[in-house]
Amino acid sequence: MDKNMLAGLEGLPEEDKIRMSAMIDHLQLRDSLRMYNSLVERCFTDCVDNFTRKTLQKQEETCVTRCAEKFLKHSMRVGLRFAELNSQAATQD
Amino acid sequence: MAANNTPAGIDKEQAFGMAETEMEYRVELFNRLAQTCFNKCVDKRYKESELNMGENSCIDRCVSKYWQVNGMIGQMLSAGGRPPI
Repeated sequence: MDKNMLAGLEGLPEEDKIRMSAMIDHLQLRDSLRMYNSLVERCFTDCVDNFTRKTLQKQEETCVTRCAEKFLKHSMRVGLRFAELNSQAATQD
Repeated sequence: MAANNTPAGIDKEQAFGMAETEMEYRVELFNRLAQTCFNKCVDKRYKESELNMGENSCIDRCVSKYWQVNGMIGQMLSAGGRPPI
């Protein structure tokens, strides 16, 4: 989700643009928070299995870092492909 | 589903509602796509923080196929409506 959506708003009156922009901001915020939660859950589930201690072990920390970085890189790549497919679909209509 | 001109008879509130619904749908589609392809393509052992070449190819293909499936289902739903029980 990004401000490319705003490109479609050019022809609208100012008040509509503002309203749409606020809607997009709201959706982006909500999406970011959801992503945060789901990433924590994913990396916890994949990396933490041991409950003999209450602090993370070094290898668990490393795993979580890699997990998060990997997912974020993956998410960026998916975003690129998604945008490509979206723009292909738009020109076909 | 991306019409910039509202057809006669749809008021502005409805148009905003439809736009919001469409945007939420796109966000949801993206999120499910990302989760699904990550699950299918990325090794959970997290040996490193970079995506390797195999994972990159897998992701590209996964996204492409997911998109095709999305299109297929969309067509089936808009053409046939509900399947007979």
